[in-house]
Amino acid sequence: MKFGVSDKSRIVFASLFVGVLTMISAPGAVARADDSAMSAVQSMVNQAVKILADQATPQATRASQLRDLIAPSFDFAAMSRSALGYHWKSLNPAQRADFTQTFTGFIEAAYGSKIGDYHGQQVNFIKQTSLGNGYFQVFSQIVQPGGKAPVPVNYLVEQKDGQWKVYDVTVDDISIIANYRTQFNRVINENGFDKLLADLKAKQQQLNQTKSG
Amino acid sequence: MEVKRSFAAMAALAMVLGFARQSALAEDQEPPHPPGESTQVYSDPWAPFNEKMFSFNLKLDHYVLHPVAKGYAAVAPVIVRESVGRFFNNVNFIPRVANNLFQLRFPQAGDELLRFGINTTLGIAGVFDPADRWFGIKPNPNDLGLTFGHYGISPGPYLVLPFLGPFTVRDAIGSAGDQAMWPLPYFVPWYVSIPTDAGKGVIEAVNYRSLHLDLFEDVDRYAVDLYGAVEDGYMQKRAAELKALD
Repeated sequence: MKFGVSDKSRIVFASLFVGVLTMISAPGAVARADDSAMSAVQSMVNQAVKILADQATPQATRASQLRDLIAPSFDFAAMSRSALGYHWKSLNPAQRADFTQTFTGFIEAAYGSKIGDYHGQQVNFIKQTSLGNGYFQVFSQIVQPGGKAPVPVNYLVEQKDGQWKVYDVTVDDISIIANYRTQFNRVINENGFDKLLADLKAKQQQLNQTKSG
Repeated sequence: MEVKRSFAAMAALAMVLGFARQSALAEDQEPPHPPGESTQVYSDPWAPFNEKMFSFNLKLDHYVLHPVAKGYAAVAPVIVRESVGRFFNNVNFIPRVANNLFQLRFPQAGDELLRFGINTTLGIAGVFDPADRWFGIKPNPNDLGLTFGHYGISPGPYLVLPFLGPFTVRDAIGSAGDQAMWPLPYFVPWYVSIPTDAGKGVIEAVNYRSLHLDLFEDVDRYAVDLYGAVEDGYMQKRAAELKALD
């Protein structure tokens, strides 16, 4: 078959079209990464579930594996600041650093101690929505045995230095950080900031004891 | 000529001000905070009273309710206790129907009526839930406190009542209103209905507690301030329930 002028122009047109399509879908590739927040959280949670389900490894090892997994994915600095609410402004940098370190240790101890509670529950990821300004909410559910309603667990995330980081978790529509904000506000108002630090450290010790016990 | 000059002066002034504002922002501007971070914490103006009531309820739970529930859980299998829970849930259908109606949620009100009809008959006095299991008719919980909220009445202060637990003023009034929809007192004399309803309340509480034996322990384990944790959990849950009605 001989290519006529019309065929050639059709080929040229077709390749132009494909080229344009590629150009359109290149930013589209970014737009399709609309679920990148959910994928990031899902990947972290799946890895966490693997660690939790690995009954062969001793609990202490699994706790430190979890800690290594969570450390880069959770924005502990943002969580600490959020948990103190308006009190954050009245703290000096040394106090802020002290609090962030203490609160981080407390959270790690709290979730480390929950390792024994995991009994193979499945986690389903549903969707993500934008909260504006680069903040996203990722929706997931923990499937309960025995036909009970699944527990909704949502992650609030933002992207920092190219990585998605969690700054709050809501369980059953209750925000964990907001809950601590109420508690910390009461403790600071009634007994002062140093008492709050002391209480957090004491709780952390208690939780670490139940873990190894 | 003068207009032009004043415009120029204003423009210059605006530029200077604009720059000044920008540099001021740059100095103490912190990175954008996550949404919700600047939310006010609850004012809790009745805290002294609430804390005493909370403390009383904790002791009541520790010395009476929890031990009784634990003993009950030891003799009655989970299936039985879940059935008892379903029985009471079924019997308490009127406030759910009424409040769904008040909020003009007619399909949901109809569903709740349907659930009552099916579960009372096929579900043998509500002990089973074939309406959901077989027919997929999901529950539509609702109450007068949510109705008040739906129509824009603000929650009012946090209020802890002895025996009854945490409320907002709006929820407490709503709860009283829902309680008034319980039909028994309208059909039997007070000396029958009051002990019966008191007994019903106790059984419901013990049964519920027996199905959630570690409730307080879990919250206590991770809280530095138990009162605040419960207060916040209650307020957040109610706000979420109200939001879900939109």
